[in-house]
Amino acid sequence: MNDLSPSTLLVLVPLLPLVGAILTVALGRVLGPRAHLPAIAGIAAAFVVAVMLLTGMAREVGVGTTGHDHAAKPVEMVTTLWEWATVGDAAATGDAGSAARSFSIPVALRLDPLTATLLVIITGVGLLVAIYSIGYMHDDPGYPRFFALVSVFVFSMSMLVMASNFLLVYVFWEAVGACSYLLIGFWFTKPEAAKAAKKAFLVNRIGDFGLAVATFLLWMTYGTLNFHDTTLADGTLVPGILGATRLADASAYVGGVVGTAICLLFLLAACGKSAQLPLHVWLPDAMEGPTPASSLIHAATMVTAGIYLVARTAPLFEACPGALTLVSIVGATTALVAALIGTVQNDLKRVLAYSTISQLGYMFASLGTGTLLGFTAAIFHLVTHAFFKALLFMGAGSVMHSMGGVIDMRRFGGLRRIMPITATTFLIGSLALAGVAPFAGFFSKDEILASLHSRGWPDAHGEHHEAAPAGGHAATATPFHLAFHVASVTPDAAQLAGGTRGSALDALNAPATWRLLFWMSLVTAALTAFYTFRAVFMTFTGPTRVPEEAGHHAHESPPSMTIPLVILAALAAVSGWWLFSTHSLASFLASTPSFTAPSVASTATPPAFHWDLAIQGTLAAAIGIVVAALGHLGRRSDGPQMERFLGPLETLFANRFFFDQIYSALIVKPLELIATLAALVDRHVIDGLVDAIARVPAGLGAVVRHLQSGLVQRYALAGVIGTLLIVLALVARAMG
Amino acid sequence: MIASILPSISPGTLLAGGVTATAASLWLLLPGGRSGAADRTARRLGWLIGIVALASFIATGHRLGNVGEEAVFLTVALVAVISGAATVVSRSPVYAAIWFAMALAGVSGVLLVLGGQFLGVATIVVYAGAILVMFLFVLMLAQPAGLAPYDRVSNEPLLAAVAGAVLLGILSLSIGRLTAEPPACCLMGGTKAALLADSPAAEPAAAAGIDMLADNHVARLGGELFGRHLLAVEVAGVLLLVALIGSIAIVSRGAADAESAAARRAMP
Amino acid sequence: MNPLADVVTPSPLVLDGLVVGAILFALGVVGILARRNLIVMFLCAELMLQGISVSLVSWSRHHGDWGGHVLVIFVLTVAACEAAVALVFVLQAFARTGRLDSAAWQSLRESNLSRTIDHELPAIDTVPLKFPKLSPAGVEPAADEDAALEREHV
Repeated sequence: MNDLSPSTLLVLVPLLPLVGAILTVALGRVLGPRAHLPAIAGIAAAFVVAVMLLTGMAREVGVGTTGHDHAAKPVEMVTTLWEWATVGDAAATGDAGSAARSFSIPVALRLDPLTATLLVIITGVGLLVAIYSIGYMHDDPGYPRFFALVSVFVFSMSMLVMASNFLLVYVFWEAVGACSYLLIGFWFTKPEAAKAAKKAFLVNRIGDFGLAVATFLLWMTYGTLNFHDTTLADGTLVPGILGATRLADASAYVGGVVGTAICLLFLLAACGKSAQLPLHVWLPDAMEGPTPASSLIHAATMVTAGIYLVARTAPLFEACPGALTLVSIVGATTALVAALIGTVQNDLKRVLAYSTISQLGYMFASLGTGTLLGFTAAIFHLVTHAFFKALLFMGAGSVMHSMGGVIDMRRFGGLRRIMPITATTFLIGSLALAGVAPFAGFFSKDEILASLHSRGWPDAHGEHHEAAPAGGHAATATPFHLAFHVASVTPDAAQLAGGTRGSALDALNAPATWRLLFWMSLVTAALTAFYTFRAVFMTFTGPTRVPEEAGHHAHESPPSMTIPLVILAALAAVSGWWLFSTHSLASFLASTPSFTAPSVASTATPPAFHWDLAIQGTLAAAIGIVVAALGHLGRRSDGPQMERFLGPLETLFANRFFFDQIYSALIVKPLELIATLAALVDRHVIDGLVDAIARVPAGLGAVVRHLQSGLVQRYALAGVIGTLLIVLALVARAMG
Repeated sequence: MIASILPSISPGTLLAGGVTATAASLWLLLPGGRSGAADRTARRLGWLIGIVALASFIATGHRLGNVGEEAVFLTVALVAVISGAATVVSRSPVYAAIWFAMALAGVSGVLLVLGGQFLGVATIVVYAGAILVMFLFVLMLAQPAGLAPYDRVSNEPLLAAVAGAVLLGILSLSIGRLTAEPPACCLMGGTKAALLADSPAAEPAAAAGIDMLADNHVARLGGELFGRHLLAVEVAGVLLLVALIGSIAIVSRGAADAESAAARRAMP
Repeated sequence: MNPLADVVTPSPLVLDGLVVGAILFALGVVGILARRNLIVMFLCAELMLQGISVSLVSWSRHHGDWGGHVLVIFVLTVAACEAAVALVFVLQAFARTGRLDSAAWQSLRESNLSRTIDHELPAIDTVPLKFPKLSPAGVEPAADEDAALEREHV
């Protein structure tokens, strides 16, 4: 294993699923019911490599071996595969000022703690979903296609988190969008699935537009699109946007209008991909796709791409505090609205979809606080959420599989007697989601609330403003030593970066805003617990009812489906406590180059367990569970629902706050009108013009045709007249 | 003499006036569209304007040497031209044929004045004696009683008249310019006077006139014909034979076709 | 042939002859283009040939050689052949259509054009012909009433 250099390992992570996908496409028909083998082999191998990379990086960072009293140093490893495109040669022009103008896109991959974490999540959850799909997609005629798509998705998502260049990020951003489209529309002969896939793609497109424009602005502002520092042929250093050179300089990031514009465009892209307001409308419809796809893409991985983007570009956001606040506002609002909508849904998968939107909102709220705690809490919640949300989706898929495709909770009940494993794992996942100690969600949600609280009541967290002690030591010899370039960072005196280069949005950055967001998040926590346990009680408790579509399916799912459930349940149970108590994740992530920028690192606080917030969170969860039990537990699971207390609000929630209707009226209908107009113009004006031009020769012919009357004397007359005209012309010319 | 009456009008204007008058008169004279009194008025007006046109052409013409020659030529020329016009505009085809005979007489006279003695006579013999009689026979067989409707209308009379008049104008113009200085390309790098001075031959026209007006005109013509143009004469003979055979062939086939068509119609 | 003969100005007689030939030719052109009766059309063609003949003889007189005369002789020959064959054709045409109208033959026209027909025909404007009556000489033959009625005036 020692002869596998880290850069090779880094390339293997996306390569192996890609090879698996190609083999699945090539050999799918031949393999028949065993078509899953190449894909699972590829993803499993990628998972192993990702774990190796994670352990190697952890050792390099020094997780758990050193104390917490030294500044985190950025750790990264860059591998450049090849130069994709190069335009312009600054050396040739000899103009020093144009050194930043020559345009080169290297296909470069970068490994740092954030990437390593996400790679393990992507490949791990991907592997479990693939194993689950063996049972779930068992009789589907598109069996090989599914596994090929899952493999391609794992490849695209891995490349997205590893890309070291914004253009590459954009490419794979689009690639995961395309995989999502293909997977949502997997059963494309079903009209609703095709429409949902189209809707997802189009709404994502709006976000992609934001990312594209942001990329242009980045190029214009910073002169390069690379994350890492590059050196030109003549030795000039081109500092990457997130490279060590720029990160060391506290004032290297642009604020003001341009900086805020870039950050808002990133936010737009993240909203599109992570289904935040106002671009959240595609995720509930995406439940038309197969449940394993929902579990992988719309719960654990793809929707987290937005979180990844904001976390990665943390230094840029830190330069625009107004934009950061807006991120939090969007996140918390989305969380609340989605939770409200989720309370009245009767479709189990839709409940989970809105739950996903809500939890992603939590993560954005946490990212927007701009503190190191906020960033790491968001990633922590991302990890735990991946576990329990994938678990919940797979559990819902298990229920759907048993109930013969029925997923309306009103039509079945008391399934814990039929499907004990599913019920138990689903319960564990729900406890994690609701934030009940000691399950995973409790710790991550607690951290998020803590970060919000620290911004709302800054005095209570006074140790924010201390500068982390200067530090930095030479890299110890590790197997990764030769490949790393570690810069020793000397953080400057405490300055919340960008405070002097503000924009109009900075007015939002007031403690009052943060307090409001905190209370919104707390209410959302209560609602989360409510709708989660409402779903649990309606599905698994009460008298056992099975719809007639179930037929002979109404039994526990096969081991290929239940084993991933058990694994994920175990992770959901213990991972939160383990990661929090060892503070391993937080200190590991603190070495991510983006988080070692002075603007972020200066907000570091010593890890602490906030008892008051824990109590508040648990109280909110308990209220939610009790109300849900009152309404739906046991005998009442098919009885009158809690919704009747909501009155007119129920209509509002059930219609998803009328977002779809508003979009249809404001955007879709005008576009259809324009399309109809364009079709009319095309048919009558443009085609009409072409037809008119075509009619000209016909018209001329119709006029000239009358000369061919069949009367020979007229022909002779025409000949004589023609001859006379020619002769007259000659005579006139001869006479001068 | 007429030129002395109209000294102030330039030849160009006279020519243009003549062309216009020709066009107008022919249009008025050609049958078409009008009936009754209008028709008669138009015809009279047409002839009147035609006279004017003729006068203008005569005015632009050239004076011959002596009065006698001029009077004879003018007479026969007028007979030819007016009869020719009458041929063209006559409503009845039989009248047109008769007028054509008159025109032939006029043409024959012109030819005689020009010195073509054999041709003057041959025109009468062949045309008036053979071709015209054939036309009259066909008319007897085919023409219905009275004026057929297609004899009372013309095909685009205005355009035809104008075309004819313009043609006449161009031809007259060209003939008129024959008296002008020849273009340089014909002089072969000298002036006309210098070339004439160098030429060894005398006025060829005088010599030719003597040759043509000799007593043995026909014998000379015959010698020329069977001397230099023997092959053409033989070919012309063959052509006559072919035409003869061809006419008979067409007539006999036509008869056979008509018989078979009648037989087919007669079959039950 | 003296090439300088072209340089010499034609004599007035020749020029007048050319003018007469031109007039006859132009009249023939107008007739062929305008008249509808096939026989009259051919008569006008012959008129054109007469004009040509006059011009040719004029040029022959100008040049002083027999070329024009010879050509007119051949024109005469060909005109005779042409008249013979053409009149046979006219009779065939008459047999098929029953009239000597050149406008009877229009079927080679564009397929979507309709026949050109005479819309307004001027009324026959002839005074009834009065033929002279000869006093009978000798024994009057037995008059056949039917034959007298059937005979058509030309």
